[in-house]
Amino acid sequence: MRPLLEGLRTLRRSLVLVPLLLAANLVLAVLLAVPLAVSIERDLENTDAAARMTRGFDYDWWSEWSSRQTGHGRHLSPDTLGLGFAAKNLDLLLKGHLPAGAFARLAGARPRADNGGKGPEVDPLVLGLGVVSMLVQLFLTGGVLGVFRGAQGRWTVRGLLFGSAFYWGRLVRVALLALLSAGLVFALWAPLSRLAESWARESVSEWSALLWSFARYALLLVALGLVHMASSFAKVILVLENRTSAVLAFVSGASFSLRYLGRAVLQYLAVVLVGGGLLTAWVAVDAAFEPTGYRTQLLFLLLAQAFLGARVALRLWLLASQVALYRTAAGPP
Amino acid sequence: MGACRSLPLLVALLAVTLATLGPTLAETPAAPPAPASRHRVGPPPLPEKSARNANYTIEARLDEAKHTIEGSLVLEWTNTSREPQSHFPFHLYWNAFRNNLSASARGEGRRSARFGDPPEKRLFGYTDVRKVRLLRQTTEDLTPTLRFLDPDDGNKDERTLVEVQSESPVAPGETVRFAIEWTSLIPHGGGAGRAGWVHDYHFIVQWFPKIAARYEDRWNEHPFHPWTEFFSDFGVYDVRLQLPRGFVVGATGRLVETKANPDGTETLRFVQEDVHDFAWTASRRYLERKVLFDEPGFPPVEVRLLVQPEHAHLAGRYLEATKLTLRAYGHGSAPYPYPQLTVIDPAWSSASGGMEYPTLFTAGTNVWAPPELRAPESLTIHECGHQFWYGLVANNEFEEAWLDEGLNSYFEDKTVFEQLGPPGFGRRYFGPEGGRGGRSGWPIVAPRVLIGRGKQHLEDLRAFGKADVMTRRPWDYRSAESYTLNSYGKPALTFQTLEGLLGDDVMREVLRAYARRFRFAHPTTEDWIATVNEVTGQDYRWFFDETFFSSDLCDYAIEVKNREPRTLVGFSEGPGGLTYSPPGPAPERAPETWEPEVIVRRLGEVRLPTEVLVEFADGARKRERWDGRDRWIRFRYPAGPRVVRAVVDPDGRVALDVNPSNNAWRDESGLARRAATKWSARFLFWLQNLLELHSVLG
Repeated sequence: MRPLLEGLRTLRRSLVLVPLLLAANLVLAVLLAVPLAVSIERDLENTDAAARMTRGFDYDWWSEWSSRQTGHGRHLSPDTLGLGFAAKNLDLLLKGHLPAGAFARLAGARPRADNGGKGPEVDPLVLGLGVVSMLVQLFLTGGVLGVFRGAQGRWTVRGLLFGSAFYWGRLVRVALLALLSAGLVFALWAPLSRLAESWARESVSEWSALLWSFARYALLLVALGLVHMASSFAKVILVLENRTSAVLAFVSGASFSLRYLGRAVLQYLAVVLVGGGLLTAWVAVDAAFEPTGYRTQLLFLLLAQAFLGARVALRLWLLASQVALYRTAAGPP
Repeated sequence: MGACRSLPLLVALLAVTLATLGPTLAETPAAPPAPASRHRVGPPPLPEKSARNANYTIEARLDEAKHTIEGSLVLEWTNTSREPQSHFPFHLYWNAFRNNLSASARGEGRRSARFGDPPEKRLFGYTDVRKVRLLRQTTEDLTPTLRFLDPDDGNKDERTLVEVQSESPVAPGETVRFAIEWTSLIPHGGGAGRAGWVHDYHFIVQWFPKIAARYEDRWNEHPFHPWTEFFSDFGVYDVRLQLPRGFVVGATGRLVETKANPDGTETLRFVQEDVHDFAWTASRRYLERKVLFDEPGFPPVEVRLLVQPEHAHLAGRYLEATKLTLRAYGHGSAPYPYPQLTVIDPAWSSASGGMEYPTLFTAGTNVWAPPELRAPESLTIHECGHQFWYGLVANNEFEEAWLDEGLNSYFEDKTVFEQLGPPGFGRRYFGPEGGRGGRSGWPIVAPRVLIGRGKQHLEDLRAFGKADVMTRRPWDYRSAESYTLNSYGKPALTFQTLEGLLGDDVMREVLRAYARRFRFAHPTTEDWIATVNEVTGQDYRWFFDETFFSSDLCDYAIEVKNREPRTLVGFSEGPGGLTYSPPGPAPERAPETWEPEVIVRRLGEVRLPTEVLVEFADGARKRERWDGRDRWIRFRYPAGPRVVRAVVDPDGRVALDVNPSNNAWRDESGLARRAATKWSARFLFWLQNLLELHSVLG
């Protein structure tokens, strides 16, 4: 518990990091959202569908418009509404589409027959933006860890960027090792997944089939979680001890994770629990009102950014807790 | 001189040309008639019984361990044709699963035979006829005359159609008996479409040698194509099933006898009159639920549900949907006449869901079944609805699938929409892919998204609508998707459009007349058209030419131009002769009167009459009519208020319109931008979350 509380204190001291990281995320996403808005406006001009899409969702208009989309516009879909966005994104992760479709084949993803032959599951532009976002957040992580390393948490933007640039190369190497590890996880998981799928097909009842199917995805999630744990501690170690070797830092991170597995897992559970509560709150709020006019749309936008800011905060809380845990367990350098 | 000599030749040439082209030039489409007036013909009386020209007495024994059925049957067959018959084709449907050379195995689609990669022996099945005898005053062994046919594709490896020949023909009107003994190997449900076994669940359909139907005075002999269904004559079925004790059994007809056998098996006897097939199912896991449908105006029906234990919590929804169907379809066509109806909730991964048989049907559901997705309701309504068309009217599903599937899909859409409300939109996650047995998973329903009546078919219509004429032979469609569209979606939308043209009341009269007149009668598309024409008192052939007999699409679009009135610039008559009026200064404010123009275009090739609703800024409204014959029409209005909204087909009667969203024009007041910002913000939110998820990688 102490590292978690310590992590919370650290985060509170450096709360400005949250909007900074969120801004990086927002700027990238806007690059695709704005052209989409232009395209939608052009298509809805002088139509009744504009009124219906303002008040709610016009399935007829969306169905026809969507069938013409070959780019990122096809991701505007009712299955991203409510809780759907979370389920869809998690589905993409577990099917190996992130990042950049790197693990889709390993995960055994079949060509999508149900997208009318429009191409890959995720638009290449979206995947590319994902990679850019990953690199940008990785870049900032170095600076964030540098801030967390500081005793009182005082920092400047210049210092943050300097720290980011300073650790950038090593963090990229750690990230590559993490991706390799994730690839190994997918490769090892794929035959187990096929086995679970065949057991699911042979199941007597649908419940048994569901259990097999959920179990295989849960196993994958846990395995990817362990890879993240090792990678995250590797970054912590790399910055706190100013290690030069990314490989050794990764090995140390993995070793530390195993040695303090219980406490490390507790941190993840805490984050997942809070995240679950956040998601529940979001779904409730989203269901409560339908943005129509610009004022309610602005409210939606602010609430959405608040949700995302909370997600970023959770990520930083986890990182800060890991710093605290490492400091507590490893002692002063 | 030369010109004079050429003149008669030219005149003659012109006359010949006109004579040839005249009919073509005159072939403008027949003017659509005025809206149908009610032409009461009164509902025809319902026949008490069918022709009963193919009566089966069957005895069958299930060997659960070997997955085989040993069967013998006596078929009492009457020659209803005008000619003596000496060759007799029989369907052996399970030979579609015999090997990978069958038409079914060679084809595509979710019901075609599949044997795994690598192939698994358990996925194969067959029907092996051991003996065929013709019982008359003397018994004639027809077994040596057995030969396999494929009149459609000439596939020499096809084994689903076999014929036997008799030396002495069966005279018109004569009744004879065939005695047949056979052995069937039941395929595993993972490979077969519709039939098979998984664990102790058995779904036994199309399982006995069945004589081909006599249709339009000829044998209707087709092999089992990958995506066609079934067709046979009506009769009485008296079936004894011997199987191990402990099974819960559902079957066509009523259970009249149960007998325990000394060897640990039991024999159940089912009897049903006036049906054209017999299906049965057995499983030890079934839970049984019963309810009585007993409402004024309808004969009582005992509804028996056999449900999987994990779906027991959905039993009520299954039963209510079945009762709703009996009521709605009975009211809209003719009452269900049998005293019992069995509803089957199929076993997981059995691939036997969503199918109809006389007095028995399978639906299907999932453990998590949000009511918004209308499952199991819509599938139950659809499959139960088949009892009224496939079951009682029984058109030729080999050759005219749309007349059953399409009519039923139309009725299902209507019933779901009117009785339950429009369905929602959802997706399932993290579940097993299910193979042929369907999907499962955690359902997520999109909040506040509703799908209007029939709209779920438009996407396929846009994608595949031009591939095939709806009325071509179903096994010749370009793809399984084209079959699905032209059997289900497009005819459903066509019937819905017809309802829009005729009105609900007249359409109901047509359906009732059709259902009653052709009960047990194997009607055709022409019979349907004739019924429409008779009830309406008008010739609707033009409508079916545009829809049934065409692969064209329907699409209307509308635009509006509110023109500023012109002020005079130039010469005009004046007191002193022609005077010149120069251009005046630009107006400081918007004009108070406008000269609006509404243009409606027909983007598709299908020509249907429609209406146009025009709304003006002062609140006035005007309805225009258009026959849709030309490519476009313009409505001009005198100087006055602007048009603020115009809609072609304002009541949504033309369900076939592939793009309803270009049917309305609205005076833009920033709505498009507001909608665009709203939904791009939604997209932004999803994308931001996806990008944030990337931060856990690497």
